[in-house]
Amino acid sequence: MPNFNILVNGSRRSVQCDADTPLLWVLRDELQLTGTKYGCGMGVCGACTVHQENRVVRSCQISIHEADGLSFTTIEGLSLDGSHPCQTAWIEEDVAQCGYCQTGMIMEAAALLTKTADPTDAQIDETFSGHVCRCGTYQRIRKAIHRAAASLRS
Amino acid sequence: MSVTRRSFLVKTVGATTGLMIGFRLDCAANVDEATKVFSPNAFIEISVNDEVRLWATRSEMGQGVRTLLPMVLADELGADWNRIIVEQASPGGKFTGVRLRTSGSGSAVGTWHTLRVAAAAAREMLIAAAAERWNVPPSTCDTKNGGVIHRPSGRAIQFGEIVIAAAKLPVPKSPALRDPKDFSLIGKPIRRLDGQAIVTGRAIYGMDVKRPEMLYAVLARRPSFGAKLVSFDSEQAMRARGVRHVLPVTTGIATGVAVLADGSWAALKGRAALQIRWSAGEGAAFDSDRFSADMQRGALLPGYPIRRAGAAEVEIASSSRIIDATYEYPFQAHATLETMNCTADVRDGFCEIWAPTQCPEVAQQETAKLLGISEDKVRVNITLLGGGFGRRLFADYVPEAVELSKAVGRPVQVLWTREDDMKYGFFQPPDIEVLRARLPDKGVPTVWIQKSVGSNLSMFGIPSEQDAKELDRYAKDGSPWGVFDNPYNLTHLTADFIPFNSPVPTGPWRSVEYPGTVFARESFIDEIAHAAGRDPIELRLAFLEPGDVLDLKVQKVNRARLQNVLHLAAAKSTWGSKLPTEKDWHLGRGVACNVYSEDCYAAHVAEVAVRRDLSAIRVRKIICIVDCGLALNPLGIEGQAESAIIWGLSSTLGGKIHFKNGQAQETSYSDFEVIRMDNTPAIEIHIHQGADSPGGFGETAVPGVAPAVANAVFAACGKRVRRLPITPEKLAMA
Repeated sequence: MPNFNILVNGSRRSVQCDADTPLLWVLRDELQLTGTKYGCGMGVCGACTVHQENRVVRSCQISIHEADGLSFTTIEGLSLDGSHPCQTAWIEEDVAQCGYCQTGMIMEAAALLTKTADPTDAQIDETFSGHVCRCGTYQRIRKAIHRAAASLRS
Repeated sequence: MSVTRRSFLVKTVGATTGLMIGFRLDCAANVDEATKVFSPNAFIEISVNDEVRLWATRSEMGQGVRTLLPMVLADELGADWNRIIVEQASPGGKFTGVRLRTSGSGSAVGTWHTLRVAAAAAREMLIAAAAERWNVPPSTCDTKNGGVIHRPSGRAIQFGEIVIAAAKLPVPKSPALRDPKDFSLIGKPIRRLDGQAIVTGRAIYGMDVKRPEMLYAVLARRPSFGAKLVSFDSEQAMRARGVRHVLPVTTGIATGVAVLADGSWAALKGRAALQIRWSAGEGAAFDSDRFSADMQRGALLPGYPIRRAGAAEVEIASSSRIIDATYEYPFQAHATLETMNCTADVRDGFCEIWAPTQCPEVAQQETAKLLGISEDKVRVNITLLGGGFGRRLFADYVPEAVELSKAVGRPVQVLWTREDDMKYGFFQPPDIEVLRARLPDKGVPTVWIQKSVGSNLSMFGIPSEQDAKELDRYAKDGSPWGVFDNPYNLTHLTADFIPFNSPVPTGPWRSVEYPGTVFARESFIDEIAHAAGRDPIELRLAFLEPGDVLDLKVQKVNRARLQNVLHLAAAKSTWGSKLPTEKDWHLGRGVACNVYSEDCYAAHVAEVAVRRDLSAIRVRKIICIVDCGLALNPLGIEGQAESAIIWGLSSTLGGKIHFKNGQAQETSYSDFEVIRMDNTPAIEIHIHQGADSPGGFGETAVPGVAPAVANAVFAACGKRVRRLPITPEKLAMA
């Protein structure tokens, strides 16, 4: 079986699987990193969002073959102790309800803030148009992003 | 709610952590599945090292129950908020006969009183033990921050030091409850306790369960209703790397062929390679557009009487100013973000299950039945739920995993893909309301005639011939919600229900029967107001006079509370003030109100913009007044109301489910549209406490959304949409 090497949260991981296996299932089934969620498997819900360097990718839409040799960060690696400004802002604003989509949302927000220090609501809307929260926590997500942005600026 | 049985069990248990004292309170309540069902209970343990353990007797699906219950416990017991450990109750064992089902916005209502009584009993026993040790009257003691204090001297002792003595005392039968003014947490905005686990990805949902040697399974499911498996060829599928077994599955609502593999992807690849032959069954031709047309004709069929007052038919026959309208609500899906899934491990005559479920008791019962073992040999572990909304009140996805685990002798996790989840749910059934009224005029009593055509939700059953003869048959159930408990004081009222079923499995969906019936009722009131030249809020207030309590036997509707939320909605929305003029947009406001199951009242005002060429509809703002009585956790209630509004908006402006050739056509969020960030309006929630006891709040704010928006659209552009969802195409046709 083919062998692939990826860097996940700073650790080199070697996996054996079919070349077309989506990164999502490698993370969840092989590496037991279940913070990255399956929501649709077709890139329309955003629940499986991770970082590849500083850009966001839908881990269900990138195969392990494409991912080979690249470096990824998942929610488990966003901070050591849940202290990333987005994570703390999410708690401050009491965003999560069922919480299932929120790791994808947080990864998206963290990436947005590295590019745009003080995003407008319109920029947030555009950035998050690929995400679904069936509990409808969008208003609090917006607030949390503004809060995280403010804390990063200060 | 009536408590029919109450018993306390006190036990001392030798454990590695020390001795523990347990308090248990069982309540079997008025079990009526058709209305709201409350059979609450609680379980508390306090250890010698001061840890207080609370077993959550409801599933956490985002409503915040795993935060709310410890709040109640901490206040009533005087426990240290930081030393409470929340465990999830499992059916059976010490929870035999205890309700764990999570439904009907009942997580707070159904547990509040029982948990308080249990905690108060524990408090009295701890106080008695401390008072005895100090030789002081118990009445001079209280509990606070996990210890007993003697008020006059200021002496204090931690719970852990006295639990062993307390456990030997008799359990008080009717302990005094704390005065609510002494609560320190209840009524305050408290953040979710599991927030940290969620934002770090450590929270465990059903799909995150991993067991040693576990296989992953996906099913190829029936192509249409009633289709039966004829044969399958697994040769190609077995060639996919990692595929271990290909097996037929006979349980659940969408049977088929399962592919079991070492990983999810291998199982999915194997499934794609399956060759299956199906026979066409009953329902293979089902088409929801045709069904909707049939339902319209259903209004002509004789129905079951729901409400009767005065002589509506006679009055309407002699009226000249009559208004008619027919409203339609389509099939909807739950589309929880975490798709259905279950992990089962069957071995040695025992079965362990891990499932995100709202009905663990049913999961246990069905598993025991399937395996032919007793229920005590089935352990159900309830994980966090990635959304429930009523879908997980069915355990159909549990036996699938059980059946497969039994067959292969290993733990098996069954994953429903998003497409499976869209196509094989228990859908919100469609609803048609045919309404007729006499326009109100000075001195002329109102006349209201309603024919409600809809599916009996499968939880409710179908009335028999005998039932049909009984006028009160539906009144007994209080169904259909929104028709039966129509709050308005209508002099002449006739309402009938005409059951109209399809082969589609249906079930409760957030706010159950209200969405369709309240959309119709509150739109129709608006139409009456406009036709009569009355203000929509003023007319509602008038229809709710004299602000009394409408006694419908199975429930009571407090008209004054509904009037109050309407008044507040008018004030907070500056109702009546002129909206600005915009070059490209028509603007309008709309209102709606509803009472959810007698104890939760809500009024919505929507502000909507409709592009002048009718090519777009934007809901800009929704103001919602929620009166669910005592607001236990205002932050949680606001969150649930915000959530309910987005839920309601998704079905108002977004997708619906179409069936063709006996199969749902939608596959994912790409073709079943839900509200996303970019069409989220500004939402303003105001909590009004109209009662001293708590009501439900998970669903209250759903039903008013669609009519408030439809009424606002009419106010903006003069177009009345009576079939949901509201789309630019429908505006063009209106």
